[in-house]
Parts: sequence; C-alpha cells; structure tokens
Amino acid sequence: MCKMNDRAFSVVNHPLVRLEAKEKITGCAVYTGDIKLPGMVYAAIIRSPYARASVTKIDISAAEAVPGYAGALLPNDVPDILYNCSGNPPSPLLLKDEKILTTEPKCAGDRILCVAAETPEACREVCGKVIVEYAPKKAFFTIADALRGDAEPLQPHLSVDNVVWKREVKEGNTDDGFERSDVVIEGCFHIPPMQHTAIEPTACVCDFSDRNELTVWSNSQTIFQERRILSELVGISENKIRVIKPAVGGGFGARQQLHSQPVAALLSRKLGRPVKIVNDREEELTSTVVRHGAVADVRLGSTKDGMMISFYADYKLNTGPYTTHGPTVLCAGARKFQYAVPNYFFDGKCVLTDNVTAGAFRGYGNMQLAFAREVMIDRLAIKLNVDPVELRLKNHVTVGGHFPGSNLTVTSCEIAECARLCLEKRREIDAAEGVTDDGEVKQAWGVSFACHGSGPSSREGLSSATVNINSDGSAELFVGSADIGQGSETMLSQIAAETLGIPLEDVAITAADTMITPYDTGTFGSSQTFICGTAVRRACIDVYETLKKLLESITDDMVSLRDKVFYVGKEKLDFRAAVRRVMFHQRGGVIIGRGVYKADACPNPFSVCMVKAEYHKNINAIRLLHLIEAVDVGTPINPLTVEGQIEGGAAQGVGYTTTEQIEINNIAKKPLSTDLLHYKIPLASDLPRIHALIAEGYEPTGPFGAKSVGELSTVPVAPAIVNAVSRASGREINKLPLCEEFLILPNIVE
Amino acid sequence: MEYKIKIFLNGKTTDFKVSENETLLDTVREKAGLKGCKRGCDSGECGACTVLLDGVPINSCSLLSVQADGRSVVTIEGLSNGAKLHPIQQAFYDAGAVQCGYCIPGMVLSAKALLDKNPSPSDGEIRKALSGNLCRCTGYTKIEAAVKLAAKRMNGVQNE
Repeated sequence: MCKMNDRAFSVVNHPLVRLEAKEKITGCAVYTGDIKLPGMVYAAIIRSPYARASVTKIDISAAEAVPGYAGALLPNDVPDILYNCSGNPPSPLLLKDEKILTTEPKCAGDRILCVAAETPEACREVCGKVIVEYAPKKAFFTIADALRGDAEPLQPHLSVDNVVWKREVKEGNTDDGFERSDVVIEGCFHIPPMQHTAIEPTACVCDFSDRNELTVWSNSQTIFQERRILSELVGISENKIRVIKPAVGGGFGARQQLHSQPVAALLSRKLGRPVKIVNDREEELTSTVVRHGAVADVRLGSTKDGMMISFYADYKLNTGPYTTHGPTVLCAGARKFQYAVPNYFFDGKCVLTDNVTAGAFRGYGNMQLAFAREVMIDRLAIKLNVDPVELRLKNHVTVGGHFPGSNLTVTSCEIAECARLCLEKRREIDAAEGVTDDGEVKQAWGVSFACHGSGPSSREGLSSATVNINSDGSAELFVGSADIGQGSETMLSQIAAETLGIPLEDVAITAADTMITPYDTGTFGSSQTFICGTAVRRACIDVYETLKKLLESITDDMVSLRDKVFYVGKEKLDFRAAVRRVMFHQRGGVIIGRGVYKADACPNPFSVCMVKAEYHKNINAIRLLHLIEAVDVGTPINPLTVEGQIEGGAAQGVGYTTTEQIEINNIAKKPLSTDLLHYKIPLASDLPRIHALIAEGYEPTGPFGAKSVGELSTVPVAPAIVNAVSRASGREINKLPLCEEFLILPNIVE
Repeated sequence: MEYKIKIFLNGKTTDFKVSENETLLDTVREKAGLKGCKRGCDSGECGACTVLLDGVPINSCSLLSVQADGRSVVTIEGLSNGAKLHPIQQAFYDAGAVQCGYCIPGMVLSAKALLDKNPSPSDGEIRKALSGNLCRCTGYTKIEAAVKLAAKRMNGVQNE
C-alpha cells in the first residue's frame, strides 16, 4: 500500500486544460479529412443496398466517361483472402470472415467496389453512374431468426448454426442457489444496437503511390494493429507501412477496427496516386459498426433478507454478418458481475445475422448485461421492500474478494463512497426542488452501480514509452497510444512530468505514429491511464536510473539518488544539473528512458449513477431532470478530463436509453436510420443536468494510484434511467430505447 | 455554369468562382482553405459546419455559395486575433470544454451569435442556442459552462 506522502502530487491529480485545446478552439487542429496531398484523388465505396444478395453485374463504363474519373477498384482487383478488421492483437478469438470487396454482400453497406475521381464533386457523379445489379436473397436480422433451424448459415466455414462463439463462465451451482433462494425473479431484456456517431466521419488517406511503401493517415484508435492487418492484406512488411494518427474527432470504439483503409491502400497502389476516402453520414450510421444488440434472459435469486445467492444469464449478442470483435465482446461481458454471489452462470453466445455489423463500442460487452442486472436488482429491492442502494452495497464485492467466475483479486473499491457522494448530491437537489407527486406528474430517483476494467480483461494490453531528455532537462515523450479526444496525451504528459519531477510544460509528447512512436496495443479497453500510464512511469524511472549510471561512469565518487536529487560525493545535483553534467561531459552520454508494461492486472474502476426522472401521466411522457454519477477511478490523473469523461459517457448513455436505434425497414429489409434526424443523438436540450463526482481512492497497482474512467462512465446510465422511469411510471421496462414506449420531453428551464 | 461571387469573409472582401450547386461549406473549406469549418453530416443536422451569415449561425453545408454573394461570413478563423483568443474561445479553453474538438468551431460560433444578441442568456437560452450543434464527447456540460463564463466576462464581471 502507498504511504500518504505518495499522494502529495504536483502535476498529477490537478485539473489541467488539455495540451491541444487551443489548436482545436481556433480551428487549426488537423483532422484526417483536412489532409490533402499532391496528386490525391477522392474515392468512395459503392455499397450493397441489400442485406443479402449476389452481385450479378458490375458496369462502370458510364462512370469512366465522367470528366475527372480517375479509376476504380473492383472485387477481382483485391486479394481473395478473408480477414478480421478488429484492431485487437492477434488471438484465436479473431475469426477471419470478411473480404476487402465482396460480390456476396451479407449486410446493407457491404463493400462492392470503389471509384475515384479528381474532385469530390466528380467522385459523386462517378458514383451515380456505376451500375451494379444484384440478385437479392432472404435476409434475417434478429437473433431469434438466425437461430431457427432453416436459417442459412452466414459464415459456413465458421459455424453451421450461426452461433459463432460460445462462452460459459461458472462459479458454484446456480440450480442449487435458486433452490435455496427465498425469492427468484426472472426477466428478459432486449437491448438494441447503438452507433457511436462520432461527429468526425471515419476517414483515411492512403499513399501507396510508389507501390513499395504505404503511408496511411487515419482516425485510428489502434495504429499498430492497423499496420499489422494492412501488412497481411497488401503483402509488404510492417517496416514499409507507416500509420499516422492526426487529430481524431471521437472514437468510442468505432475506430478500433479498419474501415476503408485496405480499399484505399490497394486503390492507391493501382492508380499510383494518394487516395482519400471520407465516409458520409449514412455510411457512418449503417456501414461502419455498432454496439452489439443483445437479448439477455436472466434469473436472480436472493434470501428474504436480501443476500443475492444465485445469478444466471442467457446472454446472446447480435454481431451482424462478420464476427469482428464479437467473441471478445462476449468474453469481456462474462466477468463484470460486481456482486459477490456464490452461484453464478454466464451462458453466452455470439450470433451472426444480416443486421448492421457490430464491433467495439465503449462498454465492450459490459453495457448490455449490466443493464439487465441492474434493472433486476431494482426489481428485487422493490419486491423485498428494501432500499436499492443498501441492497447493492450489502452484496457488493470488496477489496480482497473477487468477481464471480474470476480469479482476479479486487485491489481497490470505493463504491460506498461513490454512493455516499451521490446521495449527498441527491439530498441537495431534492432540498432545493422537492420531489413532485401530484397525480399528474410523478418524479422518482433510479440508481445503478457499474464497473469496468482498466485495460482489456484478457490482460493482453501491452504498451511502451520512450523519453528523450534534452540538454536543458526538458523531455520528449513518445507513446504509441492514440488520443482520440479523451485527453490521453495530456494525462500521459502529467504522469511523465510527475515522475521526472519537472513542470508539465517541459514535457512534449508525440503520440501515435508507427514510424516514430513505440508499440502500443491501442486505445481500447480504457487502457491508456493504467497500461500506457504505467509504461510512461517506468520510462521516466528508467531516465533516473540511466542518469545515475552515467553519473557513476564519469566520477570516482559515490553516487546516490534520494527524492529526485543526486548526490555525487558531497555535491548535490538536481535533475537538470545532473543532465547537463552528463550530456556535456567528455565521457558522458545521452539519456533515453524506456518503459514497457505488459498488463498483469486489470483493476476495476467503479461508479454509482442516480437519475431523477418525471413521468407525465396524461401524455405518457418522461423527462430526465438530473443525472449524478460518482466514480472511483483511484487517483484521477487529470480531474478535469475525468469529469469530461463522466459527462460525455453520461450523455451517450442518455441517447442509448432514450432515442437511439438503427431501425430496419421490414419491407425494404434495410436500415432506415441513415441520417441524424432518424438516428437521434442527444442535443444539449435533451439532457438532464449532469453532476460528475469523483470519489477519493487509490489503486495500489496503478500509476500514482490511477484506474481507468473512459468506458466506465457510460455503463450505469441506462439502468439508472430505466429504474427511475419505472419507479415514476409504475411500469416494468424490458427494452430500449424508451422513445418506443414514452414521449421524451426536453429539459429546458427558461 | 460558373458564377462569380463576392463574400465579405472574416472581414475581407473575397472573390470566388463557384458552381451553381456548390455549398458554402465547400467554398469555405476547399477554395478559401478555412479547414476549421468542419464537415460532419452534409445535411444540416450536426452543426459542425456552422458559420455566421450576417451574424446568424447557419449550416454552411446547406447553403449554396451563390446565396452568400454580397453577404458577410464569419468562420472560426475570423474570431481570434493572431495569438489572442476571442473571449468566447478563451472561456471554452478555461472551462475545459474541448474534448475531441470537432464540434467546437461550430459551438463557438453559435455561442457568439447568441451572446451578440443576448449578452446575459439564461441556462435555457444557452441550451436552446446550442441545440443546433451536436457534440458526442462532452455531454455539453462544460460547453454550457463556457458560454456562461464568456457571458460573465464579456459583461465585465471578471471574478466569477
């Protein structure tokens, strides 16, 4: 455990404005879509309008006649190999079933061919002239339809029954547990897919003009996985591929897989010119990836005094026609049950359908089951007539314990403090505003707990950092992890400054360029703070060790190091003086610190969310008034960005719960939600007042006591809202989004 | 068909040759090179391409450039003066309102249009004024706080 004085930080745990804020506020930050190379052509992908079909004809003769036409990439121009687009490191869970271009589309939006032109306008015209004819086939969109005996297998080389992965996790015996329970409740929950809807569209620029070396600019979360996959697809070694991440306008998991990069790379090689592809909004919504839709059948057993003793989940994920992340998402959901039930059975399946392809999304496998679990616990609280917060606290895992089905020990947990902070804020709100119940309008609070990991739960996270020390004692920090808007560059610079004992402005960070920065598995699994942060801390510690060795090599005196001060004989040298002494000495050297962290832990951050909602009986409407979320993230490296993550995660959760859904037209058999009028993410006026709170905590395995926050914040939101709305309306709710059942009122107070 | 138009762009009269179906977003980004004006949806829903047309915030993806002929257009690049940020930009900075940043130029311009017309907006008026601009990162919380902070400062209250 730490000593108290370990927590007196000078840079860490201080709210700091992110380093690149000014560039973004002035419009100077360069995003992928802003990049223009000499000779570059603008390309677009022609996609299948059918959920399942065979292409019977492709005719580009009219397109070729359009002024400005530059070329095309056709299905027979690409290597006939299957790949997995997921930006995870190689693993048996990554099943290969996707083609670069296909003549057998399996979902609306599947890539058929790609065309390019000299200008974006010419490219639009070229797209309009391409003729593709299809023979449509019978498609199925739901898990139930995919599992019917007569459903044609979508990926016969992987599965004959469309179940592409199974995962069982057990502890104890749930049958015995239910038998011994005084109360057993059951529920079946339908949770729809959700699209990330980053405001910046997915984009890439690929320059493979010399047909020898490939340079890619893309809004990628995982540049090293992108390089590895492209290397396999285009057949050149990784050192001939450079992937650069410019400013990224949001990720949320959507960019943890490749989208148009393989197509753009191959077209660039074919044309000998750089190629740019920027998705339009319809492509974003229907042809990238979504969060897995899910069906969760769950049973919860408890004693009459509220000890939960058995939990069973039949959990099925809809992964669309390609597995992408499906098996990993399924497995990630298996061990996030944060209550100490002795009997636990997670029975999970990942199912192929012709629905929109699913992939990585903030909350990775945890969201859907957490929703079912937390709604069930609220029903149990109502049934037992006990306080829903106390019921949860009574059953919660504690430090030294473990999650059901997991052998990892819980190393820190401030869930009770999170609950206390939420309740304090809630009392303050109610004291000011009251709780209305006048026959027409009924207000109520709902609660939910949540957890997540700090890095992939499989512990496959691997990160590294190098730190070059300049002659004046300032530092250049290089990391391969991608800042996608969450603020990791600032947070990692803070860790470096704190460890080196120098001011933040003396740290310059370069992040996410495969040619310059060292390996990192990527920005996913909320791993930046814990995994990359540990690598940065180790690199900075290595700086001091290197410096000490160099000092020893240039003196006969004894060299010691205490509290970041070197003692050479009787002489005292601070960091800066030591650096100068070493670098400019005749036998001196250069100071480069290296740090690597292969994750051997995955500490859980925790959160408590409380929502105040009101139900308007006469018009069957709901309004969300307040959302309080308190998190235990250990030490918040940058409390300002931690708050930002809570607020943003909360807002995304509000959209998920209230309005967002990819509607499939049952006659046309394709997605209807093709623009932001029909796929409705929250506006400012749609949101409750969000109150972000941070509990004091310290994670002994984390850098300066830190755990993660990025995904955690969005996990408890849907169940907290649903529990509030259920209590206000008196109705049990089993599916999302709530706009299917209620009118959703905005939240504007004049 | 090509049209010659004049736009009073960020305080300078600028000549453009545009086609009849060219949007102001394309003219501003591709011809004037003002990349701070962002393309988010190309259908007038996300607000990332917001510019001020004669002081009114509009989606530049949904206005034909010929319609801007002879009118004033302000983009994010027209706000700060060299290294010095506009007070609204400074408030966005100080409030930590920026995450991925893609919506921010549009947000700042919508905030400017609001505060130019209504120097002391209520919370509800701020929410309404920002409700043409989508943000997926921030939950709007710190953006709303930034607009309040800017209003206070621009009204001469320095120590909020």
